[in-house]
Amino acid sequence: MPAVIDASKCNGCELCDLYCPLDVIHMENDVAVVRYPEECWHCGACRQECARGAVSFRFPWAMLAA
Amino acid sequence: MDVHRTHDLDTDVAVIGGGTAGLNSAMAAAQAGCRVLVVDKANIVHSGAIAGGIDHFFAYLETGEPWDTREAYLGWAGQVARGAVDLEVQEAVYCDELKAALERVERIGVSLRQPDGKIFRTAALGQPGPYAINFDGKKLKPKMAIEVRRRKCKVLNRVQVTNLYLHGGEFAGFTGFNIRNGDFYRIRARAIVIATGNTNRMFNAQVGNPFNLWYCPANTGDLHRAAFDAGVALANMEYVRMTIVPKGFSAPGFNAFFGMGAQLVNSLGEPFLKNYHEMGNRAPRNFVVWGALQELKAGRGPIYMDCRHLKAKELEHLFFTLGIDKDTLPEFFRARGYAKDGAMIEMTVSEPMQARPSELCGSGIRIDRNCASNVPGIFAAGDASDQMGCLHMATAGGFAAGKSAAAYAKTRRQLLPLEPKAMHEEEHRVFRPLGRKAGISYREFETIVRAICTDHFGPLKTEISLKAALDKLGRLDAARDELRADNMHELMRTHESMNIHAVSKISATAALERRESRFPPYHYRADYPETDDENYCGLMVIQKQPDGGIATRLDKLRYAA
Repeated sequence: MPAVIDASKCNGCELCDLYCPLDVIHMENDVAVVRYPEECWHCGACRQECARGAVSFRFPWAMLAA
Repeated sequence: MDVHRTHDLDTDVAVIGGGTAGLNSAMAAAQAGCRVLVVDKANIVHSGAIAGGIDHFFAYLETGEPWDTREAYLGWAGQVARGAVDLEVQEAVYCDELKAALERVERIGVSLRQPDGKIFRTAALGQPGPYAINFDGKKLKPKMAIEVRRRKCKVLNRVQVTNLYLHGGEFAGFTGFNIRNGDFYRIRARAIVIATGNTNRMFNAQVGNPFNLWYCPANTGDLHRAAFDAGVALANMEYVRMTIVPKGFSAPGFNAFFGMGAQLVNSLGEPFLKNYHEMGNRAPRNFVVWGALQELKAGRGPIYMDCRHLKAKELEHLFFTLGIDKDTLPEFFRARGYAKDGAMIEMTVSEPMQARPSELCGSGIRIDRNCASNVPGIFAAGDASDQMGCLHMATAGGFAAGKSAAAYAKTRRQLLPLEPKAMHEEEHRVFRPLGRKAGISYREFETIVRAICTDHFGPLKTEISLKAALDKLGRLDAARDELRADNMHELMRTHESMNIHAVSKISATAALERRESRFPPYHYRADYPETDDENYCGLMVIQKQPDGGIATRLDKLRYAA
């Protein structure tokens, strides 16, 4: 998983969904969900816009191990 | 079946692609008094190459130093981008616009200065002096978006443009769809600026993560393909661009290491770039990549960024700087365990992409001094044009394109019609993959296209490999009619994958015609390994003919000795 959203911190503001340049994040039941994790560019736009600090990044194992 | 609404819109100047170039085009056209509509596949606040930030801007500043002049800059361009840069266009779209571009960046609220108020520049990539202004451009993209709104431009976010239409040989309008709700758009405009970047998802990514690319993976040649189909001539399409990236994470920024005194070494611990170019670490980018590839080929890999002279604290500072350009890179380095005294950071050669062979030109729509293509009403800017690349030219040249498009729009009294039959057919074509119950997914299709490109025309190509690639890519044509999408996101990706496929054929066709090597490994023909200035110093122009055939020609370029 690249961008990871902590649902307990998400206030449903939709900014990460709105600004993800790859259409990776979608709202589901008022919570942001990383629906296409394999299409993440790791640009960090979602994290920059999140006022609640709900977004973090977890690098796929292969990126760290290669 | 899908149910979607259809919208008909009119504007004076349409800008496709709301990245740096597109937003600067929009600002210029609005300033000229035109109605402007910006259309972006994502959201202009964070879209395009600098969606997450940027940290440098190339500029000469006329400080009195011999290298710091317009003439010296153009001399450098003619030297390191020989055969790809048209210096007359460069003067018009960059030099004439530079001063205003720098002022504009600062006026919209992004300082190009250090905290002490001074401009700090570094040299790299073959520059005769330090042209790269180092600055904190983390907020540059959002601030440009605010400026475009302030200038009353209309913005259509999340709309993927699908085709361009002409009437009587002139630009008339275009179609597109909303990637979330499927709304279909038929838009007429007096002029259009295409600023959609290059085709970045054309080759395999380094660790199997298909979207972890050096450049923005949303750039999939959508408008290269559409413009080509509309008869627009493209140039510099044969080049594939690579750089040096951290192993595991394709992200830009290797120059920042050099600024801290690090150097690229092979697995013997030996610096090697001087063996390939006298400027070593500061050589033009293609030489750095070429050198790295040769070391890997000779069995002296992996390669490393040798930071043995740096303490953990200094590396942390460096990682912070790199994070301005690539937000998540600092934590990647920490996760790899590099935040320690004397780290050796493993690097590798990035995936190739269809893009410019130098920072001083572009790869795409052939433009003249007015940023105009061969089709009246169609203009291009930024990476999507054959003569602009990088932040400095996207900012300066984007504005130039907007001015030219506005001037043209004012000469057109009427909007030209979009033929109803063509609109109906396009609407049907665009949404057809949604109606298929079975078929091929975009993932399968894109994977095959990228595998063929990777196997046949990455850093090495020959007549045989290129012809084999074209044969294999041609055999995929039938599969395009079997592509299936289950939702709007997949429909966008499906069209992207078809555009990547189409551009890969254009790129291979142009590469076949350039029977020499230039900017190796960006165009390295193993069957013609030498540079042949007598026959190939110029732009390979590729254009679809009215009968559907493809023609190429070489537009020769001349440079001072």
